Amino acid sequence: MNDLRKKLTVIPERCSGCRVCELVCAIAHTGVNNPKKARIKIISLYPHPVIKMPIVCEQCKKPKCRDVCPTDAIVVNDGVVTILEDKCMSCHACVSACPIGAIFIHEDIDTPFKCDMCGGDPECARACPKKAILYIPEHTLGQSHRLKAALQYAHMQEVEYYEKGVKKKLRYAEVETGGTRGDNNEN
Amino acid sequence: MQRSRPVVPEVITMRIKGGYHNRILHVDLTKCKTSVEQVNSKFALKYIGGRGWGARLVWEHMKENCDPLGPDNIIVIAPGPLSGLYLPASGKTSICSISPTTGIYGDSNIGGMIGVELRQAGFDAIVIHGRSSELSYLWIDDDDIQLMSAAKYQGMGSIETEHQLREDIGDETVKVASIGPAGEKMVRMACISADWGRNAGRTGMGAVLGSKNLKAIAIRGSKDIPVADLARLTKISNQAYKTLSKHNLFEFWQRQGLMSVIDYANTVGILPTRNFKDAYFDEAEKINGDVMELNYKIGDTACFGCPMACGNVNLVKDGKYAGTVIEGPEYETAAMLGSNLGISDFDAILRGNYLCDEYGIDTITTGSLIGVMIEAYEKGLVSLDDVDGMALQWGDDDNIMDLIRKIAFREGVGDTLADGVYGVIKRWPQLIPIISHVKGLDQSAYDARVAVTMALGYGTSDIGAHHARAWPVAKELEMGEKWDLQQKADLVIYHQTVRPLFDMLGVCRLPWIELGFDENTYAEFYSAATGIEFTLKKLLNLSNNVYNLTRAINIRLGMTRADDKPPERVFNDPIKTGPHAGKALSREEYENILDIYYRRRGWDIDGIPTDETLIASDLEDVIKYMEPKRKSNNAVKSRK
Repeated sequence: MNDLRKKLTVIPERCSGCRVCELVCAIAHTGVNNPKKARIKIISLYPHPVIKMPIVCEQCKKPKCRDVCPTDAIVVNDGVVTILEDKCMSCHACVSACPIGAIFIHEDIDTPFKCDMCGGDPECARACPKKAILYIPEHTLGQSHRLKAALQYAHMQEVEYYEKGVKKKLRYAEVETGGTRGDNNEN
Repeated sequence: MQRSRPVVPEVITMRIKGGYHNRILHVDLTKCKTSVEQVNSKFALKYIGGRGWGARLVWEHMKENCDPLGPDNIIVIAPGPLSGLYLPASGKTSICSISPTTGIYGDSNIGGMIGVELRQAGFDAIVIHGRSSELSYLWIDDDDIQLMSAAKYQGMGSIETEHQLREDIGDETVKVASIGPAGEKMVRMACISADWGRNAGRTGMGAVLGSKNLKAIAIRGSKDIPVADLARLTKISNQAYKTLSKHNLFEFWQRQGLMSVIDYANTVGILPTRNFKDAYFDEAEKINGDVMELNYKIGDTACFGCPMACGNVNLVKDGKYAGTVIEGPEYETAAMLGSNLGISDFDAILRGNYLCDEYGIDTITTGSLIGVMIEAYEKGLVSLDDVDGMALQWGDDDNIMDLIRKIAFREGVGDTLADGVYGVIKRWPQLIPIISHVKGLDQSAYDARVAVTMALGYGTSDIGAHHARAWPVAKELEMGEKWDLQQKADLVIYHQTVRPLFDMLGVCRLPWIELGFDENTYAEFYSAATGIEFTLKKLLNLSNNVYNLTRAINIRLGMTRADDKPPERVFNDPIKTGPHAGKALSREEYENILDIYYRRRGWDIDGIPTDETLIASDLEDVIKYMEPKRKSNNAVKSRK
């Protein structure tokens, strides 16, 4: 029970975009080597500024996906938002309703799928080589986000430059170099 | 727009349980047709994949008088059987063809995600034939394959094309390989770029795509990549990732990547400086990994499945190049566009890197040839008119940026440089002594004067003077003092066997080189993937066979012993400063080690694989092509 009081959170500044999380997730949940079947997805954008971000279910307390589900196929079990496959009719309403896009579909799989936190020991957090995905106690979740916000604020900088004679402005985040106290992920 | 859905033949009963889809996509641009070749398991296992498959396909399609930029040449894009699998750094793809830079076999590999996406689309390789009548791009959406007009992207930079194509297709996750304006203009050092500035840089593969009027390849795949024993693979890989992450340099590697090599190369005295005149740069501390990490780095990037994340995304924050963002440089680029041109301003290196990536030209060849021109002008070997009135000087970044642009767009002196080493030599034969190349490919960023193994590695590399095949310099400097020539030749052969194996499997060799990861593990990965037990020794034999095959391709295309020589400078021009000041190699020693090398490889005195060697390499069909070469070689010899 105590395990389920933990949550997944991400620090995008650390992500290198290697997609190891997608691989281990897909292998653990589907038994095949196919990152497109993962319950987590890395979004990489380029170039200003460099963004790489793992997208994974936040396990909302009042999930939008549950609210829109016409067949009540989405329930919250011990804090984990769960799709009941036998009730699901695969209308994909939840996929569009999720504000961060953390519910996925694949043509080989009948119903939409999402993160189940691997029953309390998430593969992605274990495997991430950059420690960009953390599995931490719920009460420190805010701490991590506060840290994230502080990091962003502290390291956000602006630069002015000229391109073809036009003055332009660019905002960028300094690379994070310090340690991150309170976010130990040594499990 | 033409659309075609390839006819897929019935699946032949397979013995291999995984690792391969056993499908090669053939695209004939002249006829606008695609077809799927069902690969038999004998071929798959004999050549493994990647560069191995590529070399065999090139061999089968080659003609002895083929124009590398003509429609008869093919280009093979081949990830390997381990590409896309759950194991460290499984994102590599080989691109093989007859090279327009050298006129012989050429290949280059690229990281990122493009090969993985191809494997997810259900193909192990693409072979591109012919020439499209108009500038096009290939759109592979699983089994739905279309050739689309790329008129809109004409003249666009590589990275810009990638960005624009994603936007037009409407999916940010589509993977794109593209060429820049230089590729379109068939600049002979043009590269193929993917994942925002990862490049298959060497041997002019971008020019081959340009000659085929193919601007880009966009891929989206959703299929499983078959693995025979996924549980076994997962178990080995979990351990592998853990082992790597415990290495004491792991975290340092994530921070600096290959940029840390600048300090190493300068300390041991092999950093190319001012067109390889010197091997020690007194301002190296201004362009090293620490400078990058402290002042420029804004993010990490990794290829597929790689924990090491060697890619550094850098930003120039102020000065005239402010706003330049680029993934890179890595060591080669920082050395060739930095110390090799006398540039000690990291801003300028980043700008040069950005321009090369966006125009789509190889940073090594570009840095080398610009260095040649600066030295030529300095020594009065070319006139001010020859270099378009630019008074070239070491470290003068304005003129250097201008030269990069001129090469990419074939303007003025750039038009000559764009034809590569042979183009430059044809116009200015007096520059031969100052151009560091082998078989037309410029030397990469490790000086060979300090180590005869490195010279031999460059001299006998199947694509020209590149370190991808052999990088024995560090080992020789460390422990080679007491080695005899045979031990040295054997080290080069071992390198030339083990390093290409990574390209055949479709994985990166850096975990092995940099973090001492056990190469035997790759045999386990391959066994788990295919369900057939392989030892490293067996795989190395297969890799060696491919080396004999690429050698045979080159012999067929006219290469002789005389071409197996390192850059002239290695013998004639001792290093000026640094720990190896005064050092140059002796021609006699080199000829001796070359004799030993040929003997140890089972090649005759002229460097042609003997019949016995070819039979042992399972290449009986190659023998008949070697016979006439043997005779003509002898004739040439007796004439001399």
